[in-house]
Amino acid sequence: MDKNAVVEKLIKLLEGSLGKSLVLSKDSTLLGDAGLESIQVIEYLCEVEDAFDVVVDEESLSHVSTFGDLASVVERISSE
Amino acid sequence: MSLFSKFDAAAALESTLSSMPVNPTSIVISKVVSASEAIVNGRSTIMAGTNNYLGLTFDADCISAGQAALAETGTGTTGSRMANGTYKEHLQLEDELAVFFDLPHAMVFSTGYSANLGILTALLDADDSVLLDSEGHASLYDGCRMSGAKIYRFKHNDPEGLAKRLSRLGEKAKDALIVVEGLYSVRGDCAPLKEFVDVKAQYGGILLVDEAHSLGLYGENGRGLVEEYELKDDVDFIVGTFSKSLGSIGGFCVSKHPQLKLVRYASRPYIFTASPSPSVIATTREALKKVQHGQGLREKVWHNAKHLYKAFAELGLDIGPTVSPVIGVSFQDREKAFSCWQDLLSLGIYTNLILPPAAPDGGSLIRCSVTAAHSETQVDSIISAFKKVCKERNVGRLN
Ligand SMILES: Cc1ncc(COP(=O)(O)O)c(C=O)c1O
Repeated sequence: MDKNAVVEKLIKLLEGSLGKSLVLSKDSTLLGDAGLESIQVIEYLCEVEDAFDVVVDEESLSHVSTFGDLASVVERISSE
Repeated sequence: MSLFSKFDAAAALESTLSSMPVNPTSIVISKVVSASEAIVNGRSTIMAGTNNYLGLTFDADCISAGQAALAETGTGTTGSRMANGTYKEHLQLEDELAVFFDLPHAMVFSTGYSANLGILTALLDADDSVLLDSEGHASLYDGCRMSGAKIYRFKHNDPEGLAKRLSRLGEKAKDALIVVEGLYSVRGDCAPLKEFVDVKAQYGGILLVDEAHSLGLYGENGRGLVEEYELKDDVDFIVGTFSKSLGSIGGFCVSKHPQLKLVRYASRPYIFTASPSPSVIATTREALKKVQHGQGLREKVWHNAKHLYKAFAELGLDIGPTVSPVIGVSFQDREKAFSCWQDLLSLGIYTNLILPPAAPDGGSLIRCSVTAAHSETQVDSIISAFKKVCKERNVGRLN
């Protein structure tokens, strides 16, 4: 899966869980642009892990701010 | 960026809060009248936002025990047990905790917060993995962070989510630490401990349960949810605090594992802080006896809890499915939560306002708790205040 496809899947997942469509791109931030509260981010990340069948530790997430960053982490862990 | 510029966000928050008619973070309790009543902002107020579940803060025996200890043993220990010595009462409390929980090993810490830091940093290091419930208390999260272990969060109270993560961890699962609570303090829901234990049996792992809020409330002897579900042999570590049902301050860990004894040598939050003072140990020991023989108190608090829950359900408030002495009432928007909380306070009912980011699902909540110390009349007053406020503010089913 290329990175754009991962980003697209990540945004679709979020739209699914919030039940609304969102105008977001790889440069949108989870906390700012997507308007998530930090606790909602945790729940969303659990869904991301399940969708990609990976486990992502907190440390790997510490530099994630955009959907693009998150896609890179998911890709890296999937390929390990 | 200057050293102090990081306070800009806090300053903005403070100024927003200060501009509110009542700043929810600056409530001053000028006089505590009893375990269930206080003078708040100059007004006589029913305290429906404490963790004083068994109402023991004004128990006459606990107070006398504390007074006697103050007179006999002084005001403080002035240092750590490792450096400055253990008082025999520290050991007595540890022995009594072990007996109370019917487990061989017990260790006392200066607060519940430091108990969690102390145990987690001793159990975990950078090579370990820990699986933490997404709504786990800050002290659990901080302890995991401080240990350097790899932290994996799973959805709140979701055994299946835990199972998936353990299975993805493969070989590492059997040594992974699983961290959950008993009763959760904001919404008043309980961990599905049996299901978590089943997951542990299937995939491996070491299970730690924080019974901070469930101690005193669940189980025949008030030991907590682990006792209620008869899971003592399946749980590896139980941690908790003296600051809630026991009405004191301090924390503990009990376990079947002899390694708990060695935690003393490996736990900085235990070694580098002063040990609990004699009066605190004395009131805690007395309160522990009250819990052990506390069927009457438990009946009282559960009676109040059921009464309040039923009334809130009838009002059509957005509350969780679990009946417990803690009820979290959810609100769609924070302004409404704030206005209702403030109205309740002006009617003489103190509750806890919980706004994002502290609220579990990013929403806003009013946390209401009842205790064994509340009289029937006080619970009725809480209910009528909610009824009035909800009607005026268009909340719940009555509208
Ligand atoms: C689940 C949980 N663990 C630990 C603590 C910390 O306990 P203490 O406040 O006694 O330090 C609390 C409460 O604050 C809690 O709710």
